[in-house]
Amino acid sequence: MEQQLDFLVDKVVAELQKKLAELGEKTSGPKAEAAVEGKAAPQQGIAPVTATKPQETHSAPAEPKGTALIPNPKWKEGLDELLASTPARIGVWRTGVRPLTKTMLQLRRDHAAAVDAVYGEVSQEVLDQFSLFTVETQYDNTENYLKRPDMGRVLTEESVRLIQERCQKRPQVQIVVSDGLSASAVDANLKDVLPSLMDSLKSYGLSCGTPFFVKGGRVASMDHIGEILEPEVLVLLIGERPGLVTAHSMSAYMCYRPRKGMVESERTVISNIHRQGTSPIEAGAHIGTILAKMLEQKASGVKLVL
Amino acid sequence: MNTKTTVLGQTYQFRDLKEIFAKANEDKSGDQLAGIAASDSRERVAAKQVLADLTLADIRNNPMLPPEEDEVSRVIEEGINEKIYNEIKNWSVAELREYILSHEAGESEIKRISRGLTSEMIAATAKLMSNLDLITAAAKIRVVTHCNTAIGQQGVLASRVQPNHPSDSVQGIKASLYEGLSYGIGDAVIGINPVIDTADSVKDILNMTKEVMDKWAIPTQNCVLAHVTTQMRAIRQGAPADLIFQSLAGSEKGNKAFGIDVKLLDEADELMRKEGTSYGPNFWYFETGQGSELSSEAHFGIDQVTMEARCYGLARKYNPFIVNTVVGFIGPEYLYDSRQVIRAGLEDHYMGKMHGLPMGCDVCYTNHMKVDQNDMDNLGILLSAAGVNFVIGVAMADDVMLNYQSTSFHDIAAFREVLGLRPAPAFEKWLEKIGIMENGKLTPIAGDPTIFM
Amino acid sequence: MDEQWIQSVGIDVGTSTTKMIVSRLRLGRMSSTFSLPRYQIVERQLLYASQVHSTPLLGFDEIDAEGIGAILQAEYEKAQISLSSIKSGAVIITGETASKKNAQHIVHLLAERSGDFVVATAGADLEGVLAGKGAGAEKRSQALQGTVVNVDIGGGTANAAYFQRGRAIATVTFHVGGRLIRLEREDVVTYVSPNIQEWLKAKGLHIAVGQRVGLAELTEVATQMARSMLDYLTGKERHVSGLLVTGPHLRGEFPVEELTVSGGVGQLMTGPPVRSMADVSRYGDFGPLLGYVLQQERERGSYPVRWLDPEQTVRATVIGAGMQSTEISGSTVHIKPELLPIKNIPILKLEFTEEQLADPARIHQEVAAIYQLGERLFDKTTGIPFALAISGVGYCSYALLQTIAQELADQYRHYFAESRTMVVICETDMAKALGQGLALRCKGEPEIICIDQVRVEYGDYIDLGEPISGTIIPVVVKTLAFDEKA
Repeated sequence: MEQQLDFLVDKVVAELQKKLAELGEKTSGPKAEAAVEGKAAPQQGIAPVTATKPQETHSAPAEPKGTALIPNPKWKEGLDELLASTPARIGVWRTGVRPLTKTMLQLRRDHAAAVDAVYGEVSQEVLDQFSLFTVETQYDNTENYLKRPDMGRVLTEESVRLIQERCQKRPQVQIVVSDGLSASAVDANLKDVLPSLMDSLKSYGLSCGTPFFVKGGRVASMDHIGEILEPEVLVLLIGERPGLVTAHSMSAYMCYRPRKGMVESERTVISNIHRQGTSPIEAGAHIGTILAKMLEQKASGVKLVL
Repeated sequence: MNTKTTVLGQTYQFRDLKEIFAKANEDKSGDQLAGIAASDSRERVAAKQVLADLTLADIRNNPMLPPEEDEVSRVIEEGINEKIYNEIKNWSVAELREYILSHEAGESEIKRISRGLTSEMIAATAKLMSNLDLITAAAKIRVVTHCNTAIGQQGVLASRVQPNHPSDSVQGIKASLYEGLSYGIGDAVIGINPVIDTADSVKDILNMTKEVMDKWAIPTQNCVLAHVTTQMRAIRQGAPADLIFQSLAGSEKGNKAFGIDVKLLDEADELMRKEGTSYGPNFWYFETGQGSELSSEAHFGIDQVTMEARCYGLARKYNPFIVNTVVGFIGPEYLYDSRQVIRAGLEDHYMGKMHGLPMGCDVCYTNHMKVDQNDMDNLGILLSAAGVNFVIGVAMADDVMLNYQSTSFHDIAAFREVLGLRPAPAFEKWLEKIGIMENGKLTPIAGDPTIFM
Repeated sequence: MDEQWIQSVGIDVGTSTTKMIVSRLRLGRMSSTFSLPRYQIVERQLLYASQVHSTPLLGFDEIDAEGIGAILQAEYEKAQISLSSIKSGAVIITGETASKKNAQHIVHLLAERSGDFVVATAGADLEGVLAGKGAGAEKRSQALQGTVVNVDIGGGTANAAYFQRGRAIATVTFHVGGRLIRLEREDVVTYVSPNIQEWLKAKGLHIAVGQRVGLAELTEVATQMARSMLDYLTGKERHVSGLLVTGPHLRGEFPVEELTVSGGVGQLMTGPPVRSMADVSRYGDFGPLLGYVLQQERERGSYPVRWLDPEQTVRATVIGAGMQSTEISGSTVHIKPELLPIKNIPILKLEFTEEQLADPARIHQEVAAIYQLGERLFDKTTGIPFALAISGVGYCSYALLQTIAQELADQYRHYFAESRTMVVICETDMAKALGQGLALRCKGEPEIICIDQVRVEYGDYIDLGEPISGTIIPVVVKTLAFDEKA
């Protein structure tokens, strides 16, 4: 302890003295040095990961991040500060009492994306990437899905059979993915949330059953699936009702021993998972922690102590 | 009580009042989901026909949800002026409708008669009214209320500025608030829906809004729409709340799902009376919306229009400063498309005004409904023409926290301009002083939020 | 868990006075139940403020550590605070006392007698910022468009911090203080700080040890000193006045809208008029006179700034240290509780650009470069050589996370094979995912501590406290240098 303190004090004081000695000289930042170092000493020993294609460019439309359209604001820097503080559509200005054309079209464009998300379908490629097979609820078609939430809670007979055939029974953790109200939420986030969740399960030493995809699912379809597979815990990754800031937001509903007749307060939820919201990789990692706690406490929802 | 009729050669026999009331409704996906809607237009008309001939006494004597079983029914019953009721109890619903629409019935006559009506009777008349009937009747009734300032006067369209933020950032809320104020929005209330339902968070937002109000001497009121118990905690800790908010349902069971009952509302009422800092006498803000009882399985087989009317019956007990129906928030399983939303908005506004309530409307929709911004333009203009007390102002109509669309700051400015309506008088004076408005028109600096920085 | 209190202590050992405070900070959940947990400090309460003690000295500038220890022990008893209950806080050793010898003594002593809290050591920039926070300048700047400056004038130095829109944007420190000139028997000069000699010469002022000094003569020195400091702060003249500056000079103009003066001399500004050498020398130095002439400058109004009274004067620094130094990291983190607390870890900053992140080879290079820098700057240790702060990542996909985790883990084990703990601090909310990725790769060699949502800069030092309720980490960032772009 003593020695360590000595050492630390020395370090701090040395740093201070160095600074005093510089007396106003600009300290060259680490960036400048790092750049030089980078050139002088290329790759020592450790091979870089093979350069693959650039990081994926996301196909989602550019988000409506504000640029101020006010021609002569009273305080320009202040306006920038306001815009930076909220995703709301402010600083948009007006013509008479109506919005400018650009602002109006932006709104319509984002609404179009939201409607597309409701009526769209999850890309098969994404499902294949994680070897998810597809089952369906009794929703029948999108219009009926919207009007009859009860039908999105029950799987078709064919689907029940398929699940019984292909899935491991009574797994510790069952992962289910569903389009819900936004197919594009699955397209946009699954490839970040799901592997991060799998890593987390690995860290906690939890075993996972056979994941699959439910088309036309509602949250309470968890109950039906719970009856079929009897997992200890189930997590449903499902597309949320799209908003205009993003149409690609996902929720994770988690439940300890799901079965028919579960009420809302027995489920634990992490919502707003998307690029600008709850970070998908961080959400995936945290879901693992929650599932581990559910298993430990044998509870979920309001009874779970996080 | 006659429950049978013949329409276009077909005879219809209805089981009870619940069935008549439900089938007399205009088409709503919520009534379909509940399995109580008319199967076709002909059955609908038959139900309307039977309803038209029922007397007010029939409705009162055959309660759909008896007072012994439900405290909302008790509140409605206890509020009835028996003398006025006795004068009209033999009127048919058709006669009541015609009286309300007649030239003999002015504002004071309607307000008087309203004291003898149950919520179910008011709902019954709505079922016999066309959209324009609903507008014509509601337009006669002005309800002026006062908290720090008065709203509801003839020729006034007030507004709630709703500067929500997805993580309750006080700076972010302030930014949208400044934008709203710069368009002349916020005379009804500065009202924020918080993400975080804790007394701390509520207190922070109340303090910030109060600071802005004090700094710029803004004649309005503030409110944070957390659960009533959270607001009470914050108020007891000294948070400056001008209004106290709660969502209401039309049955005791529905309210239980919201975590409230009449006793709790009474307690909150008492708290505001004793520790509230606003002038009053009105300090409640209620929100309602068709379908909420069905979604919590607390509708008892009663249709969503009638359940909505019962919310107003409960609200009436507390003399609120403002009430609004969040008409299109609940989703397509209750209101599927723009036709249904527009209808519901007009019904709710009319029924609220008939209860003597300071009725506003959140003209809104979610992205999974068959509705778009054009439909909101329509309903907004219709309600403004009907004399709605206030509507909701959100930056470009896009609420980034609740993920739905309402009416924008621009929209409210346009409603006012097109129909010659004004902000609340005290607020308009303030707008003139700040230089945002002149003779009811926005000035060239309006729309610049940095004037408040 | 919705809320939790932690106790925090602040200790300010200055050239002339020593004070301590105990406060309690309330952590509240600041996220909805549908989001990842996030806690913040939602309330700060002052529980106890000690009286202002004279700093016990041995000779002119060596602190009597034992004396400090006795003071603190008495104060802890008076405050009825048990050392084990203190979870965070900061010790500031200020002004001319901030020498190596003093720091060493005091830190040892505090480790024994002040509980196992998070200990910070001297740093003029941090001091200025904490005093500015304690004086209320940071808070006031949020309500203004312009810049607010607070200058905390103690015995040996004056620490100024500039705030704009709630952010500290610059600091500067002067050799201006009450004990730079000391007196006995009213008018005999016993000490003139060597640090002001050059400035005195440039100003044509003469004052020497042993001489007797008159009120007018000394008033001239004090007035010139006050004006030089104000000239520099307001940007009126920085050439001669710059001779009083210790450490880095200001880089920029920073037009000042509001000014507050805190510290002991700030308090003396409100004292009675100084009319005789007896008035001047009542504390054995020219502090009262310095306060008086500053008050006269304020009344004269010859500088185009608004002078305001600070919220705290003599206790501004200690209040700032005790109540404002602690932050809370993001609550989804990767830690091993038994490795905490850790103290005085220097920051290395890895700032990615979008182009770099798009190319795994460049990520490899950047990580190599920063580790090589770390290898040169810090000695080999089995402990923690530094904390790596990662910024510029923005949105992080799982694929990108894998690349970053692989590079950080592989190269760390190459360059710092002997280190048994690796500390990473992310700017954005990604610590749990990155920590998990690193831990899966490293398998305990080294152990991983990964936290996020704390802003640090190159040159900062960081302390991480014991976790509260498992994952809430109190963090004290000790700013030793100001980033020039700030």
